[in-house]
Amino acid sequence: MNGAQHILEAFHRHQIDTVFGYPGGCIMPLYDALVDSVGIEHVLCRHEQGCALAADGYARASGRLGVCIATSGPGATNLITGVANAHRDSIPMLVITGQVPSALIGTDAFQETDVLGMALGIVKHSYLVTDPAELPAIMEEAIHLAQDGRPGPVWVDIPKDILLTDIPPTAMAPITPVATAPCAIDEALALLSEARRPLLYSGGGVSLAGAEQAFRQFADQAGIPSVVTLKGIGNHSRHDPYHLGMLGMHGSRGANLAVDACDLLMVVGARLDDRATGKLDGFAPNARVIHIDADAAEFNKLRKADIALNGDLGSLMQAFTQATSGTPLAIGDWQQQCQEWRATKGFPAADNDEPEAPISGPAFVRQLSRITGDDTVIACDVGQHQMWVAQHYRFAHPRHHLTSGGLGTMGFGLPAAIGAQFACRGKTVINVSGDGSFMMNAQELATIRRYRLPVKLIIMDNQCLGMVRQQQELFYGNRESQINLDDNPDFVAMARAFDIPAISIQRSDQIRRGIETILAYDGPMLLHVAIARQDNVWPIVKPGASNGDMLDEHTQRHQNMSAGQTPTEHPTSSASSAQAPKRNAKENAA
Amino acid sequence: MSQPDQHRIYCEMNPEPAAIERLCQVIRVRGFEVTGMNAELRDGTWEMALTLKGSRPVAMLQSQLEKLHTVNRVHRMPAVAAAQRA
Repeated sequence: MNGAQHILEAFHRHQIDTVFGYPGGCIMPLYDALVDSVGIEHVLCRHEQGCALAADGYARASGRLGVCIATSGPGATNLITGVANAHRDSIPMLVITGQVPSALIGTDAFQETDVLGMALGIVKHSYLVTDPAELPAIMEEAIHLAQDGRPGPVWVDIPKDILLTDIPPTAMAPITPVATAPCAIDEALALLSEARRPLLYSGGGVSLAGAEQAFRQFADQAGIPSVVTLKGIGNHSRHDPYHLGMLGMHGSRGANLAVDACDLLMVVGARLDDRATGKLDGFAPNARVIHIDADAAEFNKLRKADIALNGDLGSLMQAFTQATSGTPLAIGDWQQQCQEWRATKGFPAADNDEPEAPISGPAFVRQLSRITGDDTVIACDVGQHQMWVAQHYRFAHPRHHLTSGGLGTMGFGLPAAIGAQFACRGKTVINVSGDGSFMMNAQELATIRRYRLPVKLIIMDNQCLGMVRQQQELFYGNRESQINLDDNPDFVAMARAFDIPAISIQRSDQIRRGIETILAYDGPMLLHVAIARQDNVWPIVKPGASNGDMLDEHTQRHQNMSAGQTPTEHPTSSASSAQAPKRNAKENAA
Repeated sequence: MSQPDQHRIYCEMNPEPAAIERLCQVIRVRGFEVTGMNAELRDGTWEMALTLKGSRPVAMLQSQLEKLHTVNRVHRMPAVAAAQRA
C-alpha cells in the first residue's frame, strides 16, 4: 500500500465519503489511487478556491469534516482563502496537498511553494510529511484535530515521493478525545439568580459543539431574553418570545438596546468580535459576564469575564438546565421590556405594496423567507444581501444559515451551496448572492452543471459593490470610488451558457412568481433580481463606534436634511425615484 | 498606548517542521516582539527561553501559545525588573 492509498484508507476509516478537489502534478499519485477506490465521491470543482469553500459549506451544513485536495504550488495557494475562511469560522476541514518530491524541496522546483510556511496563520495545525512511516499516524491525528474541541482546518502537505512510497499497513487505533473535567457552575448560577436583566448572547460555537438542542432547552426553560451573533442566527426557535435577533453593526435596535441595558451577559460559544460588540468601551457597560466556550483562549481576550466556563457546551447547557429547573428567575419586568423591544425595535419591514415598484433587498428576502420551508439551507455571499438575509430571513436552525462571518469572503456562497447540496441531498439549497460576490467564483456554475445539483441561485443585482457604496455614502462624504459594476454580464445568458435555466425580475409584483418558479423547477435554476442601487442596510453602526450610536434610515435622513443635503433615496419611500438596473430588465421565461 | 513591558516565557515544543516559525508567528501576530531567544533541542524536545516586549497582557499570549499543537508547555517567568532593563 503506497502513501496515497494510506490516505484513502484513512478516509474510509473515518467514513469520509465526499471530497472536493482538483488534480495536478504532485498530487497525481492520490488521483491515481482514487481510480480504484470505492465509496469516495470526488467532486471536481473548477478552481481550488471553489474546492476549499465547497468543503467548508459541506462541513457547515452537515457538521461533518470537510475535505479538499489540491496539488502543489498554485493549487495550494489557490486554497488559501478558503482555508482562511474555515479557520476564522472554526470549521472542521482537512486539507491535503501534494508537494514537490522531498529531494527537490528548497530548490525552487516547478510548482514548489512553501505552503507549510504560508499557511501557518490560517490553520489549526499543519504538517509537512517528511517520513513515509509517519503518514498513517499523521492522517489519524489530522482528522482528529480538525474536529476536536474548537474545530478548524488542518493541512497535510505530502511530497510526491512519499505518496508513491510503499508503507506497510498500520493498525490505527482511533484517538479518543481527552475528557475535560466538568466545570463547577455554582458561581455562575449565583450570578444568574441575582441578575434582574440577564441576556443570553450566543454564537456559532453552539452548533459547532452540536449543542443546539441543549442550548434551546436552557433558553426556553429559563426564559432569558437573547441576542445572537451572525453565526449564531438560528440558535433560537423562530417563536422564542424573548429573542431579539442579531446584535452589532447591522443588528436590531432592540438587540443592541438590550445589550446596553443588561446587568448580566451570558456569552455562549461566541468570541465577542468587533462586528458584534462595536467599540468595546461602550459594550454592555452595566453587565457582569459569564463566558462559556470550548476555547479557553477566548476568555478575557476582549472583555473580562467575571466567570469563565471552559468545556463542552452541550454538557454545560444541560447542567444549567438541570440546575435552574424549578427555580424560575425573577426577571418578569425585563422579559416584558424585551418583548416590547422585539415588537417595536426589530428590523424595519420593507414590503412594498406598489406592484410596479422596484424590488428592495429586504422585501425580497422577507418574501423568500415566507415562501421557503423550514428545512431550506441558505448559503450567502458577502455584502448587503448577506446582511439582509441575516436580518430578514427567519432561520429554524443554525446549520441552515451558511455565511462567511469572520473572514467575510466574497465568492463564498456559490461553492458553499455546492458543498451543502452534497451534504444535504434532499434539502432545498439556495445561494443568495450579490452581483459582485457572484462573479468571484462564477466558474463553479460548471460544477453545478456537471453534477446536476438542484441548487437554486439568486443574484441580487444592484450593479455595484453595495456595502462599499453604502459606507462611502455614509462615512466618506458620498465619494464613490471603484464600486460601479454596471457592466456586469447578462447573468441570465451566462447561466444558460452553463445549461442552467434562468429568469430575471425587476418589479415587486414579480417576486413571488420568481421565487416559486425556481423552487418548482426540478434542477438548478438562477433567479436574477434587479434591485435598486441606492438600497442601504439599516441600521448600521459606524466601524469603531459604540453600538448605541446606531444610524437608521430616519436618523440619517434627518442628519442629511440638517446638513442641507438631498435625502438618500429609497425605493420604499419613493418608487419613482429609484433606478433599477436596466440590464436583464426584461423578464425571461426559462 | 502604554509603554511596552518586557516578559520572559519558557516553552517546550515537539520538533515538528515549522514549530519554531509557528511559535514566533503567534508571538508577532498577538502583539509581541522577540527581543531575546535561547533554544536548544534536548531529548527530542525544543526548550526555548524567550524575552518578549509588548503592551498587551502576556497571559493572553500564553493562552494562544498553549493552543498550538506542537507546544507542550508554556511557563511565564518573573518579569524583567526595570533596573535590569536599564
